[in-house]
Amino acid sequence: MPSTLADKAPAAVRPSPPPPARTTDRPVGLGRVAAIAGRVVALALIVFFAVGPILWMVLSSIRPADELFQPDPTLVPSTVTGEWYQEVFRGSEAMRWFANSFVVAVVTTVISLVVGTTAGYAVSRFTFPGRRALLAGLSVAYLFPAILLLVPLYLALNSLGLVGGLPGIVIAHVTITLPLTTWLMKSYVEAVPRELEEAAWVDGLGYLRGFLTVTLPLLRTGLATTAMFSFILSWDEFLFASVIGQGDNVTAPVAMAGFVTSFDIRWGAIMALSTLVTVPVVVLFFVLQRYYEKGLTAGSVKG
Amino acid sequence: MSVTHPTFLSRGSAGRRQRAGMAFAVPAALVFLLVLAYPVFESFRTSLYNIDLLTGEASFTGLGNYADIIRDESLRRTIRNTLLWTVGSLAGQLLLGLGAALLIDADWRGMRWIRQLLLIPYVVPVIATALVWQWMLDGQYGVLGHTLQSVGVVPEGSTPLGLEGSSLWTVIIVNIWRGFPFAMLVYWARMQSIDREQYEAARVDGAGAWHEFRHITLPNLRSATIALLALRGIWTLMYFELVWLLSRGGPAGSSEVLSTHIYKLVMGEFRIGYAAAIATAAGLLTAAIGTVGWLAVRTASRRHSRA
Repeated sequence: MPSTLADKAPAAVRPSPPPPARTTDRPVGLGRVAAIAGRVVALALIVFFAVGPILWMVLSSIRPADELFQPDPTLVPSTVTGEWYQEVFRGSEAMRWFANSFVVAVVTTVISLVVGTTAGYAVSRFTFPGRRALLAGLSVAYLFPAILLLVPLYLALNSLGLVGGLPGIVIAHVTITLPLTTWLMKSYVEAVPRELEEAAWVDGLGYLRGFLTVTLPLLRTGLATTAMFSFILSWDEFLFASVIGQGDNVTAPVAMAGFVTSFDIRWGAIMALSTLVTVPVVVLFFVLQRYYEKGLTAGSVKG
Repeated sequence: MSVTHPTFLSRGSAGRRQRAGMAFAVPAALVFLLVLAYPVFESFRTSLYNIDLLTGEASFTGLGNYADIIRDESLRRTIRNTLLWTVGSLAGQLLLGLGAALLIDADWRGMRWIRQLLLIPYVVPVIATALVWQWMLDGQYGVLGHTLQSVGVVPEGSTPLGLEGSSLWTVIIVNIWRGFPFAMLVYWARMQSIDREQYEAARVDGAGAWHEFRHITLPNLRSATIALLALRGIWTLMYFELVWLLSRGGPAGSSEVLSTHIYKLVMGEFRIGYAAAIATAAGLLTAAIGTVGWLAVRTASRRHSRA
């Protein structure tokens, strides 16, 4: 099933230039003006619906307490305060949580990129016994809901003594990221002309050298995009991290979820943490926007 | 000949080439076997036992856990909730995604930026999504919660997440917010590849905008809709994070879905064997629905191509 999306949708994405307007040849009349106006209003509404909550999150994180806790808040805070961010960093282990999340996401990304790229290379360039089984297994894995892995993965990590530490979280996260990275890297490898490697093999380079020196440098864009998706998946993940992480070894989402259940809900601090956990993802997303459209339609983030 | 000597064992360049391919595939195959195939098998095996996580004792019960599923009254409500959650989320995400795709399908100045903005809900971490909606819906100081109270939708001082009648619907709406950009992106990508001549031909015939949408755009979005329903359907059915973080399945189980139920059985009640049985049954059910859906799509498309 992922292959249908991966095969059809990306080929269809033509980010720019947009197709010629299909309405320019119509006579300009009152009905047409009304149609455009309606379209603008609808577009404004949907943008407001999409962005409003995020805007509210950021605004709440810089709003002073007396304005935060009043029934009719103004849209824009009268003064900007950094007190919630100070509270987060002074009064909690936030630095530690974010560092944990970062380490877990980076290690997960490196592992799944190495394994996913070699696997993607194997299935798109070679035929060998078990190739079809591997592809079928990866599609099942790609669709497999994480919650159904909860019990066995927990028991397995528990018997290995890996519950409670970051390595356990990394292993769990690789199960989530690997199918996606393999699918994405497979499609990127397929876009590289195979004549280049075959020329290298004829020149006497081995398969591994040919892959490392010829193919890999051409996969830079694909690697960057795939790394972004892998990082975001791991950075966001809550289920496995909440079960495996304990004590100091919790990731930011898990620690934040614990923040709310405490008796006195500190919404300003919680919105500051939410902003902090969102910023890296959105920044990555916009920095790599030239490349991601293909990845987004090819591999949806689970859930 | 080839029976006794498979190619990958032969000395020639073909054998060498196959061995290279296998070598590249080995790491992924190992990871796949260790963290996916083995756990799935282990999950089924666990479902045949009663396990005490504290003492580590396991006693074989055979299909006892599966018999418990059939007797479990509270599970029926959870299954109903799960179906409503899946159907409601998918319907909302696809309809809103289609609407948004139609709106952004114009070459207006700055449309590129609007497309980026509309994708934001999809990339925001789910923890931030859950927390900001909880805050907005808060019964005391939440900007939405307060509005809903003042128009009388919810009683004074309460949040729709905390009421049995509205908690599931509220979680569904937040899931629509989170998921519609993906449907929008897939639909919009498909729209870009529709042959423009179809529209021009229709316009020569004097067709209006509605006619164009109904008879050209919509039929062309069929395959995208099927792919979205299959992919999002399977993931939404067993999606855990959003429901858990927004409502913990509460109040009083009113927004409990299968995934939160399994999580509570494992982490709260330590009923590992029973949780594994539910997970296995749910997995088999998902696979069955997926297979039937796939077969239905295949026969439909065959009939379509023959007609």
